[in-house]
Amino acid sequence: MRKPYMGKILMVDLSDQTMIPESIPDRVYEDYLSGMGLGAYILYNRMPAGADPLGPENILGFCSGFLTGTGSLFSGRWTLVGKSPLTGTWGDANCGGTFSPAIKHSGYDAIFFKGISPGPVYLYIKNGKATLKDAADLWGRDATETEEFLKQQYGPKAAVAVIGPSGEQLSLISGVCSDRGRIAARSGLGAVMGAKKLKAVVLDGVYRIGAADPAAMKKLSRQCLKWVNFPLPLPGKMMASVGTLLRVSPLVFPQDGLLYTSILRKWGTGGMNQTSIEWGDSPLKNWDGSNRDFPMKKSRTLNPDLIKKTEIVKYHCYSCPLGCGGICSSKGKQTHVHKPEYESILALSGLCMNEDLDSVYYLNELLNRAGMDTISAGATAAFAIECYEKGILTREDTDGLELTWGNTEAIVTLIKKMIKREGIGDLLADETKAAAKKIGKGSMEFAIQAGGQEPAMHDGRNDPGFNVHYCLEPTPGRHTLGAHLYYEMFQLWKRVKGLPKPSPLYTKGSKYKVNREKAQAAAACSKFMSLANGAGMCMFGLFIGSKRVPTFDWLNAASGWTLTPEEYMTIGERIQTLKQAFNIKHGIEPRDNFISSRALGKPPQKEGANKGRFVDVEKLAPDYWEQFGWDRTSGKPEEETLQRLKIK
Amino acid sequence: MPYTITDKCNGCGACARVCPADAISGEKKKLHSIDADLCIECGACGRTCPQSAILDAEGALCTMMKRSQWPKPQIVIKSCIACGICIDACPAGCLALSERPRNKGVDSFPYLKNPKACIGCGFCSTECPVDSIIMVKPEKTTVQES
Repeated sequence: MRKPYMGKILMVDLSDQTMIPESIPDRVYEDYLSGMGLGAYILYNRMPAGADPLGPENILGFCSGFLTGTGSLFSGRWTLVGKSPLTGTWGDANCGGTFSPAIKHSGYDAIFFKGISPGPVYLYIKNGKATLKDAADLWGRDATETEEFLKQQYGPKAAVAVIGPSGEQLSLISGVCSDRGRIAARSGLGAVMGAKKLKAVVLDGVYRIGAADPAAMKKLSRQCLKWVNFPLPLPGKMMASVGTLLRVSPLVFPQDGLLYTSILRKWGTGGMNQTSIEWGDSPLKNWDGSNRDFPMKKSRTLNPDLIKKTEIVKYHCYSCPLGCGGICSSKGKQTHVHKPEYESILALSGLCMNEDLDSVYYLNELLNRAGMDTISAGATAAFAIECYEKGILTREDTDGLELTWGNTEAIVTLIKKMIKREGIGDLLADETKAAAKKIGKGSMEFAIQAGGQEPAMHDGRNDPGFNVHYCLEPTPGRHTLGAHLYYEMFQLWKRVKGLPKPSPLYTKGSKYKVNREKAQAAAACSKFMSLANGAGMCMFGLFIGSKRVPTFDWLNAASGWTLTPEEYMTIGERIQTLKQAFNIKHGIEPRDNFISSRALGKPPQKEGANKGRFVDVEKLAPDYWEQFGWDRTSGKPEEETLQRLKIK
Repeated sequence: MPYTITDKCNGCGACARVCPADAISGEKKKLHSIDADLCIECGACGRTCPQSAILDAEGALCTMMKRSQWPKPQIVIKSCIACGICIDACPAGCLALSERPRNKGVDSFPYLKNPKACIGCGFCSTECPVDSIIMVKPEKTTVQES
């Protein structure tokens, strides 16, 4: 019987340039899967407490998903793990493309790096044989250019993960790029790679990936395909009205993920641009504005049909039938660039009040090449603009830039400076919290972050679930782990016993009430997404619903196990608890990672979609933590929890 | 079970040249061997060996075939879901996504970009989740250009 995992990892010590393949016992995969789970297991056990994120003790891991290459769909995500220099907590970033199967084709489930190389190097693995090569010529080149160079050298089949100049210059908001602009951006792990002087990882292998029951895998995949091609009859200009409708309606019903799937299929994530602005999901004007500040008249440049017009061809990550990505050429200025995602568009437009879509394309490509996180870059620019508008930053501080809301030219120059770390850019290149500390003068109020990580473009005041996860996750400020909306779309109660089913019609206000069901739903999202990150699954696939996209059944068919969905949720819980235990080991106080009060609705907004909304995370936290068996007041995993989950 | 080489091998090296996994080694004119850990059971060596010296995974003797007679993938675009699994599964790297001219946000589908590099292993066909790829022996030109 073939296994879906390779059973081996490669541990590279960059300090003395040794590379040791290690066998991992089956028990570890049974407890943690691979992907993020395996990463958490290795990092928790091998990294000494208090390790400097940019020092030699930090371990950076490239982990493939458990289901990658087994015949399942939506399972091409790889996870980059390490201790985050941005937050000091557990750090991970997730990316699609073709790198995840390449890790397995090289004969490993994950590749870990420790130590610091004396000079710039890159790792090349050909059919399992690893060599470290000199990267002095590549240092300083942008991510896309480096990738093209390496692909020319090693053939088009080679998969490349690379850092850009941002990572080299240790900008704490840098990420790791692959496939010419897919980027594992969050948690600032590009800086860790830069600190290790590791420019790239190049993989070229043909090891086969197996599954216990390939026929069953195929059957499950086909059954789920019928839910993918759901045509959406709405034109792009109607999408804003959908948002308006969602805003004005006092009653809401649980949303079905199929609607989102059809939006993603048609336009990609950008399909939600105007809907989100109108609905109140997207933060505007550095989280201070509302849909009234950025009305349809302004947001019409973000109409998804306009973006669709520039798309030449769809881009699919490995094993994805949906294809939400795209390759675009915009008005001849930007040729063959990745289609900007919703997060990038809103961070670079709405958050800074910038109406120019062309500048978004330009900045998106610029940041992808530099290897910088678009969400954090946009958020940092918005922070700087607010500081300038409030008189905290002066014209001398900004090197003569007129940093006003919506000043496209100034925003572009500012971000260019951040990439180069010139003048004010140097101050801002390490995200808002670090910048606010240096600026002082009460600027911390305008730095919207959770533990140092800028939250994504989903307003927790509109969906309180987002705020729960922004504040309480072991990786603070992240939108890809759960939300009220995600819980409805995952439809987990249809597969997992004992989870609450949302009522068919409810008032918006009821979302803000603190009760046990909320905590249960939030914890279920966290567990499920931790499991999914271990499996290498894409969240957009999971939106289709847990009954339609058979994650649990795929896991059983791939591994030959016969676990129940509840038992798989325990694996998710174990991964989640291990991440929290990692934080505790490294001296993190979970309560310190709460999001800035403005994003919680303190003071509440005076107008717009989220008028008067406040999310009481202090009240929600104990119940959420209790769901995992963590201490209600401190958020630390209890001793018996660690024993129950076999962590200790 | 990996492929193995019997002592009929005369060390011509044809198998080592065709092996996509770098699994075959041996000195010229001496008995070659297959590294069991690296072998991916694609069968290219068996189809190449002029001495019929290679046993397949089940221990059966492989027969040599003219390379022009090796089966090649035929992709049925109609049912293809553009997931890219076949491109990744191909050990020879001969499949690619079609590079069409500007055609407004449609999927690009795989095609046999480099028919000469194809080793006829059929991995693309076995791994395709929707069975859109059939392996056919080329008669004259049955390779579908897409």
